[in-house]
Amino acid sequence: MSGLFEFLFKYRPVLYQEGDFSFLSPWPLTAAALVAAALAVPAVLTYLRARGKSSRADRWVLGVLRGAAFALLFFIVMQPGLVLTSVVPQRNFLAVLVDDSRSMTIDDRDGSSRAEKAAGLLDPESGLVDALGEEFTLRYFRFSSRPGRIEEPGALTFDGSQTRIGDALSYARDELQGVPLSGIVVLSDGGDNSDEAIGEALLPLRAASVPVFTVGLGDEEMEADVQATRADMPERALAGTSTIVNVIVEATGYAGRDVPIIVEDMGTIVATEVVTLPPDGQPLVTPVAITLETPGTRELTFRIPGQEGERVLENNVLHAVVQVRDRTEKILYFEGEPRYEVAFMLRAVRTDENLQVVLLQRTAENKFFRRNLDDPLELVEGFPTTREDLYRYRALILGSVEASFFTHGQLEMLADFVSERGGTLLMLGGRRAFSEGGYKGTPLEDVLPVVLDEPANTTPTERIAYLKVAPTPAGANHPATRIEGSAEQSAIRWDSLPPVSTTNIVTGLKPGATELLEGTVVMGGQGEAANRVVMAYQRYGRGRSMVLAVQDVWLWQMHHTVPLEDQSHETFWRQLLRWMIAETPDPVGAAPARESVEAGEPVTLEATVLDEGFVEVNGARVTARITAPTGDEQELPMEWSVAEDGRYTASFTPGMDGIYEVSVDAGRDTVSLGTGLTGVRVAPGTGEFRDPRQRRGLLERIAEETGGRYYTPETADLLPEDLQFTGGGVTVTEERDLWDMPILFLLLAGLLGAEWGYRRKRGLA
Amino acid sequence: MARSQPVKSTPIRKAAAPIATLCVVAALIAAAAASERPPRPEPATLSSTPTPSPGYLHFPSPTASPAAFPPAPSATHATLPASTHPTPQRPDYEWHEFYFTRAAYSSGGYGWGRGGRSWAIDYPKSDRQFMTVLKRLTNLDAFDWENAVTLDNPALRRFPFLYALEVGYMSLGNEEIEGLRDYLKAGGFLVIDDFWGSREWAQFEYQMGLVFPNHPIIDLELDHPVFNTFYEIDEILQVPAYGRYWGGRTSERDGYVPYVKGIEDHDGRLMVIINWNTDLGDAWEWAEQPDYPLQYSTFAFQMGVNMIIYAMSH
Repeated sequence: MSGLFEFLFKYRPVLYQEGDFSFLSPWPLTAAALVAAALAVPAVLTYLRARGKSSRADRWVLGVLRGAAFALLFFIVMQPGLVLTSVVPQRNFLAVLVDDSRSMTIDDRDGSSRAEKAAGLLDPESGLVDALGEEFTLRYFRFSSRPGRIEEPGALTFDGSQTRIGDALSYARDELQGVPLSGIVVLSDGGDNSDEAIGEALLPLRAASVPVFTVGLGDEEMEADVQATRADMPERALAGTSTIVNVIVEATGYAGRDVPIIVEDMGTIVATEVVTLPPDGQPLVTPVAITLETPGTRELTFRIPGQEGERVLENNVLHAVVQVRDRTEKILYFEGEPRYEVAFMLRAVRTDENLQVVLLQRTAENKFFRRNLDDPLELVEGFPTTREDLYRYRALILGSVEASFFTHGQLEMLADFVSERGGTLLMLGGRRAFSEGGYKGTPLEDVLPVVLDEPANTTPTERIAYLKVAPTPAGANHPATRIEGSAEQSAIRWDSLPPVSTTNIVTGLKPGATELLEGTVVMGGQGEAANRVVMAYQRYGRGRSMVLAVQDVWLWQMHHTVPLEDQSHETFWRQLLRWMIAETPDPVGAAPARESVEAGEPVTLEATVLDEGFVEVNGARVTARITAPTGDEQELPMEWSVAEDGRYTASFTPGMDGIYEVSVDAGRDTVSLGTGLTGVRVAPGTGEFRDPRQRRGLLERIAEETGGRYYTPETADLLPEDLQFTGGGVTVTEERDLWDMPILFLLLAGLLGAEWGYRRKRGLA
Repeated sequence: MARSQPVKSTPIRKAAAPIATLCVVAALIAAAAASERPPRPEPATLSSTPTPSPGYLHFPSPTASPAAFPPAPSATHATLPASTHPTPQRPDYEWHEFYFTRAAYSSGGYGWGRGGRSWAIDYPKSDRQFMTVLKRLTNLDAFDWENAVTLDNPALRRFPFLYALEVGYMSLGNEEIEGLRDYLKAGGFLVIDDFWGSREWAQFEYQMGLVFPNHPIIDLELDHPVFNTFYEIDEILQVPAYGRYWGGRTSERDGYVPYVKGIEDHDGRLMVIINWNTDLGDAWEWAEQPDYPLQYSTFAFQMGVNMIIYAMSH
């Protein structure tokens, strides 16, 4: 199409887009028009007045055809032309940026890699480099995770771990700041995987009128590929805790095929989940249950075996670093009256050395029973009255205790426990809980994930309902409620458990809350909703709130239909309590800005430092102790980031592959505020192989927003000519004739031929 | 800030307890007199013939005919369908957290009581009076009335606290042995009371050996949590039966020294607490009698409360 246009109109469309149309004849246009009119009007009048065999219509047709031919001749005589701004040869520079990342090694459908295509285009013997070199002074740059100048394309290694096009464009512009820059040519697959928005890098180029010409490399579609796209692995886990990790899988060309997702903890398989691959383009979220037993900084690998016909295998693997803690975590259980739930729950988790459920149980008016204490004075004054005392616990369970037991300040403190401290609050069902306990209108009403209705003016006996409990779709794959290995087995187990009772009427979820267990009334509950919320949670500030709106979960242990060897009750409480504390933050937290880097790449460590009341501390003494895979230790002071309270940063550059363990100690004066642990995985990255298709859209956008153009390797030979007229730098004005365009002569011949043909047909010749 | 009332977390001292108990007993007498429900059966005497319910909550009602109540356990408990649980809806049904549940065990025609039903000694007055006092002393949501259940009844598993007495006459059938074993293994808690001397001990020990061949009976020392869960108990008193307290003598047969013993499961959980050579139930039953020594009823209530709070917190 482009060739036909060029044949008819003499030049390629780009010249018409860039140039301005003008008549190059020395005659003024008005005078010429008058002369033309003086010639044309008599001719037309002669036609119209002529008599003979011709009708009026014939005369009009012939007159118009002849007039049009005259007009065309007039157009040609006026010497139409294009006024172009073209670069001055050898006075301008051209930056050539080549993607040096690993994705360039991917083989395309034609058998050659993207790197080979780039090398072919930039071969000094190729016509492209010669043509560009005739017009411009070429400067070569490579880019991947970092940009750099290279003398010649042969210096490319194609082993970069990232593609940061924006950084590369900014770098090239800065490097060539003082010279006339006609444009930037980028050869890449467009697989930008930096965190920065590309638009910020394009704005200065557009302002400086430096167009970017992109040459897209790589197939735009993959015919057969399986990709493990993401694994939502938490940063921390408690040793022995079952964790559900959502693994997102995408595939092209393998719809319906069963493949395993294999999870390895430092080389040991800890889980395998078979999934059926989805149709092309549809991501599949697969929950995988894993239990990590070994404490420390652990590297997890999620792997899908390569499939027949797959060209890119690197994107079948994901890595994650997780801190597995093996320490005893404290949960405060405040129960407002003697209840069996207390005894059975404590028994269920008594062998779990990672859980310390501290019990405060009101056994009579103003009389409390305490259990599982660290010291005899713990909770000796009853329920905590200060944030420091309450925030020592990572989670809080409220049993059947009425809201009026607490002062308003304590209720606000309970809400802050969730929103500020980041703890988890669980409210259990009971005659003194929820609306029935007077929580409507208190600060806790906002915190809870369920809607509190007006309390019913009825007795517990009138309200009691027995519920058959079943997991919701969310609950089927939630670590707190999946009480068997697979969702299917878990559903069977839930179905086998006997009904439990509630005297609370809880039916409405708040927006944003997630229901995990639902109950169907099988007995009692007259006049109220047949379906009840049994278990739900929501995020609230830094923490989470949760409800378990039944009062005798112990029946799942004690009921005669439950076999003695059944572990549902123990598993339920153990998993629920562990989930409640899994994400509760420590006062001192640490994390790398990027979880995985390559050897030689700098890593920024970030730490958050809070005091025992979870208030940010700015003047702390914070030190990061980094342990390399060899065991060598390095201490690094961390500086307060002025932009954010309680936030400290430091950087280091790992020198070798492996896991770097980081321990951040924070203190104020002589008092330790705590220690945060994290880890950095140092290894060749596989991010370059995520979605290995060419990102043509991004490359086109870069070109369009800067005034450049997008090319394929096949059309790249047009670059030299386009650059002549679209580039910046030192330019001159150039006029190009259009009067000799073939289209004009074809049109003229067509008009005259049409007139002759019309005469012949009408017998007027 | 907490409420302004002082929070007392240490157990009530024994010195103050008798005074409190006196008040409770006075209230108990008044409450018993004001009760609208006619006592049924008659206050436990040797001639009473109580009938255990089949595991449902058995609510005495003057209008309830025997046919309207669940039939006798021997006729139904073996085939009780699971769908009948949890507790059926009844007009006089009341839901509570705690039911003082009495084990209606077999005694082979021996022992006290008409027909040799030794499980029913002190029943139901003792149970009712104890619940009245228990509710005064604690904030436990307890059912006011008695609740007797046979050991082979599946519904027993809905009541994790179980009380049995006169176990020197216990003679369990195979289904009862299995039922009690599973009950305790599942998480139930059994309190044994009111059996005296070496002969009754031997019978009880034999019966428990049938239930748990490999679980030894151990002594519970005074530092065991059951002695300080609610009240601080620093001495084990021998509580005499009413009418047997003559001239300071408290023992019966050769049971001169009171013991509190226990049976634990393999994880160390106390499943059974055994009050031997003592009669807590009689003290609950006759606490209002002016000639029954206050110190014994006080101790009996303290021990009873402690055992229940212990069962509900351990």
